[in-house]
Amino acid sequence: MFFICILAKIEMLAESDLSFSADIRPLISKYCVSCHGPDKANRKADLRLDVKEGALADLGGYAAIVPGKPEESEFYLRMVTQDEDDLMPPPDAKNPMSPEDIEILKQWIADGAPYEAHWAFSAPVRKSIPEVADPRWSRNPIDAFLFDKMTDSGLTPQDEAPKETLLRRAFLTLTGLPPSPSDMTRFMNDDSEDAYEKQVDLLLNSKKYGEHRARYWLDAARYGDTHGLHLDNERAIWPYRDWVIKALNENKPFDEFTIEQLAGDLLPNPSLDQLVATGFNRCNVTTSEGGAIPEEFAVRYGVDRINTLTTVWMGVTVGCAQCHDHKFDPFTQKEFYQLFAYYNNLDENAMDGNAFIYPPTVQLTKESDKEKLADFDRKIERIDKAIRLNLASIDYEDPGVGYSTRERKDYVWIEDEIPAGAKASDSDGGWQFVSGAGYPTYEGIKSHRRNATGSEQHFFTEADEELVIGEGDTLFTYVYLDPIKTPKSIMLQFHAKDWEHRAFWGEDLIPHGKGEGAGHQWMGDLPEPGQWIRLEVPVDLVGLSPGDRLDGWAFSQFDGTVYWDHSGIHTNIPQGDEGFDSFAAWLDFIGQVDGKGLPEGLASIAKKNAEKRSGAEIQILRDYFLEHVCSQTSFLFSALQDQKENLRNAKNKYLKSIPVTLVSKELKEPRETFVLVRGEYDKHGDRVNPAVPEVFPPLPEDAPNNRLGLAKWLVDPAHPLTARVMVNRFWHQHFGTGLVTTAEDFGTQGDLPSHPELLDWLAVEFIESGWDMKHIHRLIVTSAAFKQSSAITPKALKVDPGNRLLSRAPRYRLDAEVLRDSALFISGLLVEKMGGKGVKPYQPPGLWKAVAYPTSTTANFKRDDGDALYRRSIYTFIKRTSPPPSMSTFDAPNRESCTVRRERTNTPLQALTMMNDIQYVEAARCFAERVIEQSIPDTNQRLNYAMRLAAGRSLTDNEQSLLNGLYAKHQKTFQADQEAAKALIQTGEAPLISDSDPVELASLTMICNLILNLDEVMTLN
Amino acid sequence: MNHTQPSADQLLSRRSFFGRTLWGVGAGALASMMPSRILGNVPIQATVAPKAKRVIYLFMSGAPSQMDLFDHKPKMHDLFDTDLPDSVRQGQRLTTMTSGQSRFPIAPSMYKFARHGQSGTEVSELLPHTASMVDDIAVVRTVHTDAINHDPAITMIQTGTQLPGKPSLGSWLSYGLGSENDNLPTYVVLNSTWTAKRDAQALFSRLWGSGFLPSKHQGVRLRSQGDPVLYLANPDGVSKETRKDMLDGLNAMNRKQFELSHDPEINARIAQYEMAFRMQTSVPELTDMSDEPDYTYEMYGPDAKIPGTFASNCLMARRLIERDVRSIQIFHRGWDHHGDLPRDLPLQCRDIDQGATALVQDLKQRGLLDDTLVIWGGEFGRTIYCQGKLERTDYGRDHHPRCFTMWMAGGGIKGGVTYGATDDFSYNIVENPVHIRDLNATILHCMGFEHSRLTYKFQGLNQRLTGLDAEANVIKGILA
Repeated sequence: MFFICILAKIEMLAESDLSFSADIRPLISKYCVSCHGPDKANRKADLRLDVKEGALADLGGYAAIVPGKPEESEFYLRMVTQDEDDLMPPPDAKNPMSPEDIEILKQWIADGAPYEAHWAFSAPVRKSIPEVADPRWSRNPIDAFLFDKMTDSGLTPQDEAPKETLLRRAFLTLTGLPPSPSDMTRFMNDDSEDAYEKQVDLLLNSKKYGEHRARYWLDAARYGDTHGLHLDNERAIWPYRDWVIKALNENKPFDEFTIEQLAGDLLPNPSLDQLVATGFNRCNVTTSEGGAIPEEFAVRYGVDRINTLTTVWMGVTVGCAQCHDHKFDPFTQKEFYQLFAYYNNLDENAMDGNAFIYPPTVQLTKESDKEKLADFDRKIERIDKAIRLNLASIDYEDPGVGYSTRERKDYVWIEDEIPAGAKASDSDGGWQFVSGAGYPTYEGIKSHRRNATGSEQHFFTEADEELVIGEGDTLFTYVYLDPIKTPKSIMLQFHAKDWEHRAFWGEDLIPHGKGEGAGHQWMGDLPEPGQWIRLEVPVDLVGLSPGDRLDGWAFSQFDGTVYWDHSGIHTNIPQGDEGFDSFAAWLDFIGQVDGKGLPEGLASIAKKNAEKRSGAEIQILRDYFLEHVCSQTSFLFSALQDQKENLRNAKNKYLKSIPVTLVSKELKEPRETFVLVRGEYDKHGDRVNPAVPEVFPPLPEDAPNNRLGLAKWLVDPAHPLTARVMVNRFWHQHFGTGLVTTAEDFGTQGDLPSHPELLDWLAVEFIESGWDMKHIHRLIVTSAAFKQSSAITPKALKVDPGNRLLSRAPRYRLDAEVLRDSALFISGLLVEKMGGKGVKPYQPPGLWKAVAYPTSTTANFKRDDGDALYRRSIYTFIKRTSPPPSMSTFDAPNRESCTVRRERTNTPLQALTMMNDIQYVEAARCFAERVIEQSIPDTNQRLNYAMRLAAGRSLTDNEQSLLNGLYAKHQKTFQADQEAAKALIQTGEAPLISDSDPVELASLTMICNLILNLDEVMTLN
Repeated sequence: MNHTQPSADQLLSRRSFFGRTLWGVGAGALASMMPSRILGNVPIQATVAPKAKRVIYLFMSGAPSQMDLFDHKPKMHDLFDTDLPDSVRQGQRLTTMTSGQSRFPIAPSMYKFARHGQSGTEVSELLPHTASMVDDIAVVRTVHTDAINHDPAITMIQTGTQLPGKPSLGSWLSYGLGSENDNLPTYVVLNSTWTAKRDAQALFSRLWGSGFLPSKHQGVRLRSQGDPVLYLANPDGVSKETRKDMLDGLNAMNRKQFELSHDPEINARIAQYEMAFRMQTSVPELTDMSDEPDYTYEMYGPDAKIPGTFASNCLMARRLIERDVRSIQIFHRGWDHHGDLPRDLPLQCRDIDQGATALVQDLKQRGLLDDTLVIWGGEFGRTIYCQGKLERTDYGRDHHPRCFTMWMAGGGIKGGVTYGATDDFSYNIVENPVHIRDLNATILHCMGFEHSRLTYKFQGLNQRLTGLDAEANVIKGILA
């Protein structure tokens, strides 16, 4: 069939007039333009063939093309010459011309070699609507434009589809969900002339419209919930996704929709919503890979943004002009960087820091949030006041015990358990406290033991009560080495701000720290095995200085069995809740440690020479001492401090719960932009200023020459592409194929529109309607073309297999999201909550871990529970380096780059997903339960009701008997194996709602599984 | 017979397999996208005589150190801890991990090299098994790439460009050559466990993604835990027979729908469900290795008995090749040795050495190596200068895109060859550079494609694995 089609195409050309756009430009592009096109640098013989001026230019007594005279045209002669040296295209290009193509070009020259400007680069003009004789067909202007071409090919449109089919089609295409039984009843009972139109309006006004339409936009915007490169950590940007849904539901005019996303931040006094919209510019993938060169990535992000912008709004790809002038379309390299310059002023660090909140961002603080936060502040202030009152009432007298006279003693930190609040390690088997016969213990009732192979350790961090280091202190522990299984080496590691404080005994085998010194201090040979030995580590040997605070301790060893016990510090500093009694002693201490450990304001006072402190400063120190340090008074404040701490924590928690989202922000001083030689980030060529490509109209007069102006330019009525590109995508989304099939390419290499007048009419209509998106959707779905039957006649299949002429309605497999959402809806599981953080429904375990960098915040997939399992798919969390598998299998893109048109494939993996994915099996089970609950207990009734729920129609008698037979077969199987029936109906988290007979429910579950897998149910029909 | 109705055969159009437009792709590629059971065996329309029908790519993610494994640089021993001469570095860019280092001291490899086989190919002591088969492999010492960081570099080597969004090599082959097995995926991906320190560079689904090609060409992960292929197993309580009953009913219902609408897509769907059902049998047969005799495990080593190890994946690859699966990609992570190289590199080598060697030898013994191409390597190389602290037996190396070593074996490749030469520092290429594009052009050549002819029109351009317009040359010196 493929080959037949080619022949048909050639015959058609021979019989009809040649069109430059349809017949000639593609040939010139295919054979000539890569050497004789817009790209100056690579142009051969200074000859340009894609424009008339070049082709007709005098080349010194001859010309490439002499209109009307192929035999005098070098262009033609070079194609047919026998001389290999002269032949074009050159033989080594391995791009030989077919005789048919040569003949076409010859004919064109004979016709006078007429050139035309590329259709898509001049503004659309509304042509008058053709008159159509058949009023039955022409519902609206769309049909009038389609009719002629269809009838010219000898095709006639199909009759209107049955009402129930129409209803399902409208529901699916406008909201992504099928109709409910009550929707069906209402519609079937409405006999009014405009019943369908009324239904369409209802759907356009449904909130589900935005949830469905937004995902097309999010594909284009390359929205994802992670950064996308390297670590692929989570990113805070879901408020942007919700903004898109809301904007579509509100039917925000497309010009505003555009301007707010591209440049909302540059509008005067932008609203919070307008800032959120600028997340569009921040949806690109980013990295913070170690060693990455920021300048290189900054350029990459800019290029991605330009490619996305031109693809989404203009349907052209300018990306190749990054390295050299575009080979086919009239964009120079300089023009690429002029566009790039608009985006080069984003105030953003190229390294994302692997941060969830990657600046610039905004926090979506609502008025109610502000009140709540102020309330926290008021409560905290009340407590502060109470503390101040208490302080004023204390009559303190210094007991006068000097700090320096205090004796050094052992303060034990670890005894029988790790300090309060500390986090114990769980690697290498974690902590093992042992007691009883056979285990040596030095003090208390337990010691901690480890039997190691190679280097192993246990440790803790984040102890609540920190160990304060004083001048000349010694850290100590007791150790007992097993006399038979003696280790080769033991090590103590202390955590202050980091772990770079280590002491070890024996061989240098434990791979923590390196070389010599505080981070890897050798203390000597191993202690004597078989007895408790006290190990001492002077603090200065391991790089600890007075005022440092330990919150962690590690016990490491290489091989052997080791017992540890009774660890702490030999010190004269009060530890834990010992406190100081004497203000003078404390002042002495904080002076010695230079205020380490004190809050900022106090530390600077502590550092001062005692004589230089003012009275007020001394008062501050005294208050702090009494409130926090002095063992005689501080307990008086502990209740208040606890309250304050709780309030602070609650406030912080509340603050963190307010969503944050990535936004765009312009630098105050614009960055310089240069042409990058061969596209390389570090090879600057000429400096350029922001400007739009010359082939297009200039910026509108009132537009500033910045990102805002660029956005306004795109939606200026004079722009030839934006409206066409958008209405074509809308068309594509409803009909499965665009009027221009290459929705992403309206350039000279793209396909020509099947109905250029219709495309232009719709584009002008879109602009003149005030960029009303719902208006265009309404026009399309109320056209007779959309409403006809999708049945295929043999003639239509032969003449127009791809249905470009629309002599039948579209019929295509539903998209990933629609399939899942419909199954949830049909089963009654769908949770219709809108918006919020991405959710993680069912996904086979281990998929993230298999690919992720181990320390990524998305290394481990943790499935959500409850309602989150049944939300619409637009809210599913998208980890871009491992997107949800059931979605990718159905052609959902991974959102790493801009996608304006999904492929639509048909594979065995899709069949496996629909049959076996727990999400779909659970849906089938709940679907079956719903059927049992809602229909009378009769098998035929049930089967029929199930079909109505899923396919929106009743079963035929034939189908009825087929499913009835299958149901009986399943019943027999499950009767014989009741355990199997019970197992099947327990699939998924949703509790069983009915106490149905397991055999009955399991059998019906299999029928429902079948129905969800029906081609008809998976298809927009 | 009702003559107004098209026959089923007539309607069994290829639309569903075109993915995109009827005119957008070459006829050879189109024809091969049909499953053979529908159209009968459609001959592969290759553009050059194919040597290999299948490919196995052993990918060492993180970038193995070439001068510790294959690219022997004995002169470096005398230059221990001396500075890398500026004349060698030539101001070339470094990653920001070492660009701030005050000096770039030379770290000679601490491993012994010897010549092996009749060819005398040099291999370090870390790869004793690989050394035993040097006469079967071509070692290419002069591969180079454009990227200096992992994410872009691994994306580049797998998809031909540093930016996400392009199809992977296996997807291109699936698109260009189609499948020779109706019961298994065309392109299979295996992830391996690894032994060196835990932090390993990430992988990305784009590395086996289909980019702008239809998603049916994307790689299918064959997993060692859970369902080997996602959603393969029937739900609890559903036996094979129950599934068969359901599918018979489903197909009967779909056929009735076809009688009404005549959409050829319906027949295509019926065929896909039938294949899904066959996969439910063929995949477990594939992954059940209990039929392997003891000598298999002697060959592949004890690791091969542990699912998910590289050795086990190599054995799986052989089983896949036996079943005519087109492309197999094995990923092994953990080769990013910025520090502690002597601690981690031997562990990584031990992971892969025996398995990779056994795979090549096993294929050879079974006569499958002649038409199977095997490729080994990482995304770039490592620097001769040390990153961080330097001792004779303790050093680390930063990323080095300017030269690194890969090896190839099997269909179309000449064994016992060492191709290309680098300078004394394994820093710059002095002879026969091989860009990633050249490497990919060579792989396509062995598979029967002139690289510039395997194209897919997207965004108005004839996209290809080797990039839009840059040169790519087949490495003639390693072809048999």
